[in-house]
Amino acid sequence: MPHLVVEKLTKVYERGKVRALSNVSFSVEKGEFLVLIGLSGSGKSTLLRCINRLVEPTSGRVFLNGLELTQLSPRAMRKIRRKIGMVFQQFNLVKRATVLQNVLAGRLGYNPTLPTLLGRFPKRDILRAQECLARVGLLDKMYMRADQLSGGQQQRVGIARALMQEPELLLADEPVSALDPATSHSVMQYIEQINKEDGVTVIASLHFLSLARRYGQRIIALKSGEIVFDGLPEAIDDQKFKEIYGEEAEEVEVR
Amino acid sequence: MKLFKARLLSLLLDLALWTYLLYSGFTLHYLMTRWRVWEPEAKFIAPTLPGWGWAFVVWGILELVLLTRAFGPSLGQRILGVWLVSESGSPPSFSQRWAYFLFAHLGILSLGIIVFLAPEHPRYERWAGVRLAPLPPPGSGAFRRRWYLTAYGISAFLFVGMTLALGWRLTEIDLQNLVRRASRSIRIWRGLINPDFRYLFTPDPRIKLSFIDGLVQSLYMALLATVAGTAVAFPLSFVGARNIMARGPLGWLVYSFTRGFFNVFRAVESVYWASIFAIWVGFGPFAGSMALFIHTIAALGKLFSEQVEHIDPGPVEAVTATGANLLQVVRYAVVPQVIPQFLAFTLYRWDINLRMATVVALVGGGGIGRLLFEYKDDLQWSLVGGVIILFMITVWIMDYVSGWVRERIT
Repeated sequence: MPHLVVEKLTKVYERGKVRALSNVSFSVEKGEFLVLIGLSGSGKSTLLRCINRLVEPTSGRVFLNGLELTQLSPRAMRKIRRKIGMVFQQFNLVKRATVLQNVLAGRLGYNPTLPTLLGRFPKRDILRAQECLARVGLLDKMYMRADQLSGGQQQRVGIARALMQEPELLLADEPVSALDPATSHSVMQYIEQINKEDGVTVIASLHFLSLARRYGQRIIALKSGEIVFDGLPEAIDDQKFKEIYGEEAEEVEVR
Repeated sequence: MKLFKARLLSLLLDLALWTYLLYSGFTLHYLMTRWRVWEPEAKFIAPTLPGWGWAFVVWGILELVLLTRAFGPSLGQRILGVWLVSESGSPPSFSQRWAYFLFAHLGILSLGIIVFLAPEHPRYERWAGVRLAPLPPPGSGAFRRRWYLTAYGISAFLFVGMTLALGWRLTEIDLQNLVRRASRSIRIWRGLINPDFRYLFTPDPRIKLSFIDGLVQSLYMALLATVAGTAVAFPLSFVGARNIMARGPLGWLVYSFTRGFFNVFRAVESVYWASIFAIWVGFGPFAGSMALFIHTIAALGKLFSEQVEHIDPGPVEAVTATGANLLQVVRYAVVPQVIPQFLAFTLYRWDINLRMATVVALVGGGGIGRLLFEYKDDLQWSLVGGVIILFMITVWIMDYVSGWVRERIT
C-alpha cells in the first residue's frame, strides 16, 4: 500500500474563481523523496497545504496509510497533523521567541493544553529538542532569539521543529527559495538526511530544476494546477523542460 | 451590469447632493433672515409647505439633477467614474445633451422600467445618441473645460461652500464676542499665574481632601481601571480578531458580536459611563474607576484585536501544521508577536485614563478632578491654578516615562 495517495484533488479559490488545482492524482511510496516543480502560481503550495488540510480542498481525496484525511473531523485531523512535519519558504518561526521555544512548538500536539499554555513541557521533550537542535548543528544557539539567526540557520530551526513531531511525512514548501545557493545545499542535505536515515517520506517543492534533479528520486511537475510530468528526474529533457516552464525559459544551475 | 450600477448609484448621489444643497440653502436663508438671538425658542422650525409645494420641491430637485447629468459629468457620475459620450466616443454635442435631458425624463417617469429593459444601454440614451462610458484618467485632456467649470466642479464648490456657511451659522460663531468679552476671563488667567498651593498637603477643611490626596486617588483610579481593563480586553481581543475567529459561521458570529461590543462601548465616552455609575454605585472614585474600566475594555479591545489581525500569518500556519489546537496556536504563534504592542498600548491607555480621571469628576467621579470642579464653581481661580499646575506636571512626567518605556519595548 502506498504511503500517501492523492485522488482527483481540486482546489478552487472562491474569490475570483481561481482554479489552483484541478484533478491532481498521484501516490507516494513510504520513504520516497518526491519533488514538485513548476512556475510560481502553478499550485505547488496549495497541493502541499491540501495534504495536511491547512487549505481545505474543494473536492478529491487524500489518504495517508489508507486513512482518508479529507473527511476527518478537525480534532482527528489535528492528531494526524502531528505525524506530518512541514517546512516553509519563509521559515515561519516566531521571531521574538527563542530557538528552543520555536522547536518545542513542534511538540504541542502531543501535550495537553493547559501545561503548554503555561509554557511547561515535559523533561523528555526538552531533551528531545536539544537532540533535534544538535542534529541540525544549532545546539549552541538554543537560547538565542530566532530573528538573530541567519536565513539558513532559521530554516534549520524549522527543520528541527518538524523533527520534534517525529514525522512520517515531511512536506517542504520551497524550503530553500529564500536562501543563497551554498546555504540551499546545506539545508537540502539535512532534509535528505532525514529522508535516508529516518525513512521519512519527503515531498518538497523546489524552484530550481538542478536542485530537483540532485535531491529528488521522482519529480512531479505542475502547470496551472495540472500534472504535466510524473517520472524520474532523468526523463526531463529540453523538450519536457520547455513544456513545464514555457518556451521562453532557460535552465539555470544552482551549484 | 457595472454601468447599470454606476448609473443607479450616481443618480442616487446626485439626488442626495441636490436635496442637501436645497436644504442647506433654505436653512441658511432662514437663519440669516428670521432667526434672532433673543428668540431662542424660534430657532429651528421645520420648513412648512403645503402638499403641492413639496411636490414642486421634488420636481425641482429632479430637474436640477437631470440638468447636471446631461451637461458634463455631475458630481455623482464623477465619483463613480462615468460620463456621457456620444455613440462615436467623443463628447456629446449640445443638441445631444438637450435630447438626453428630455428623454431622461422618460427614464424617471417610467420609474426606471425603461432602464431595466436594457440596463447596460437604456433606450433614452440610444434615442439621444449618447451612452455612459468610463471616465478617462485625469490628465488625458478629455475635458474641454477646466474641471471647476464643469457641472461636477460647480456642484462640488456649492457643496463645500454651503456646508461651511451653514456650519458657521449653526455653531453660532461670533468673532466679536471673542474680543469684546475677553476682559471677563482676565480673573481666571490671573489666578492661573498666581497659583495657590495652600492645600497641597493639608486637606481643604471643606472638601476634606488635599491636592496630593486627590492626585494619588486619581493615579490609582487610572491604574486600577487600566490593569483590570487590560485583563478583560486581552482575552477578548483574540475573540475579536478576524484571522483567529473567522473559521466558521459560529466563529463569525462571536467575532462580529465582540467587535460590535467594542464599537458600541467605545462610542459612549467615559463621562457618560461615569454619570451612569455615579447613580448606580454612588458618587466618588469608585464610580469614576468603573467608568474608566468599561471604556478601557472597549478601547483597548479594539486596538488589541487590530494588532492581532496584523500579525505575520506564517507562524500561525506553522504551529497549526504541528497539530496544535486553537488555544495553543494563539499562545505560541500569536501572543509572542503582539506582546510588545499590547504593552505599549496599555501604557498609553494609562496616560489617557489619568487625564480622563479628572474629567469624570465633572459628573461625580472623584479624585483630583473633584477639587478642580469645586474650586471652579466657587470661582477660586488661584486654587484652580494650583491644581492644574500640579496635574500638568504629573501628566508631563507620565508622558515622558511611558514614552520612554514604549520606545524601549517596541
